[in-house]
Amino acid sequence: MDNKKFKILAIADAVIIVGLIVVMMILKGNYNDQAVASVKEQVGTYQETANTMLQEQWKSVDQYGMAWKLVYVTLTGDKTEKSFDAAVKAIEADRDARFKQLAYMYTAAGIPDKVQNDIFEKGGLADKFLLKDEGGVKEVACGKGCVVSFTFAKGKFKSSDYKALVEYNLANNFKLEAPAEFHFE
Amino acid sequence: MNIKNIAIALSVLLVAVAALLLMQKGNYVDQATEHYNKTTTNIFKGSSKIVEYVGSSIDVNKMVWALACEGIQTAKSSQDMAKLEAKFFPSTKGSNSKAKMTRHFEASTFYFIDSKFAKVDTDKKTDVWYLNNLSSIDVSALLGLVTPTMAAPSEDEEEYEE
Repeated sequence: MDNKKFKILAIADAVIIVGLIVVMMILKGNYNDQAVASVKEQVGTYQETANTMLQEQWKSVDQYGMAWKLVYVTLTGDKTEKSFDAAVKAIEADRDARFKQLAYMYTAAGIPDKVQNDIFEKGGLADKFLLKDEGGVKEVACGKGCVVSFTFAKGKFKSSDYKALVEYNLANNFKLEAPAEFHFE
Repeated sequence: MNIKNIAIALSVLLVAVAALLLMQKGNYVDQATEHYNKTTTNIFKGSSKIVEYVGSSIDVNKMVWALACEGIQTAKSSQDMAKLEAKFFPSTKGSNSKAKMTRHFEASTFYFIDSKFAKVDTDKKTDVWYLNNLSSIDVSALLGLVTPTMAAPSEDEEEYEE
């Protein structure tokens, strides 16, 4: 090749290099934005899943605590249906006592107050307690997948079944799936 | 330097820039994947630990509640309570207070109950005193109404990320 052709080649190279660098700079910004957005979205989704699970667990422990309190109050009270109904309402309505009992169990587990408050502020307390009240048979929720029952006959306490509470395995009811693979979208 | 060398050098540079351009996306994917994996793994571990630790706390709590509920229904003396304690917690024993006429059972620093009795009796065979006529069981610690004297067991503290 003569010098003229090399000159043309050199100019073409230079032009293409400049073009590629420009493309690279544009793509750099795009890729960066894309990467930040993808990570933010996918981490956010996973964080939300984890938070929802922790809030559900918190509410289950709330129901669990209320259920034990109700069992104990029922066993040690005057054992009338009227007192039981009043106890259900009183226990459910006393949100301060519920929080105190609940937070105590979390503190006993070594969960810092800040974490507890974050869960509580986002999720609140359980919104269900009494599940069934038919013909003297009353069922209350004692956590996710946990129900205790009390039977009354003619206004008097007959029996209680709180086996589910004694056997309740909280950790088995809350499993967070491992994070999915990352997708660069 | 003649134009031939410049042209060759620029051609090499062109190939290098083109290669960089092709690898550029891969680098961002790698960085993003690494950040994603690190962050989500932390969330996974942190949340799973909270579930596990609270589950363990509940496991002890429920046994103490069960002890209190069975005790208040069936126990009369401190000996009866001791039998129930052994049933739920084979390796932990409660202790009687003659002066206060109470029996203290502590499954953990946080979870304990105090059974109150009406009188002190003596076992005729062994001549050992015991508490009799169970009147009530104080479950304040199970209701979160007390302040534990010792610090909480300090496991790895987990942040609850937003």
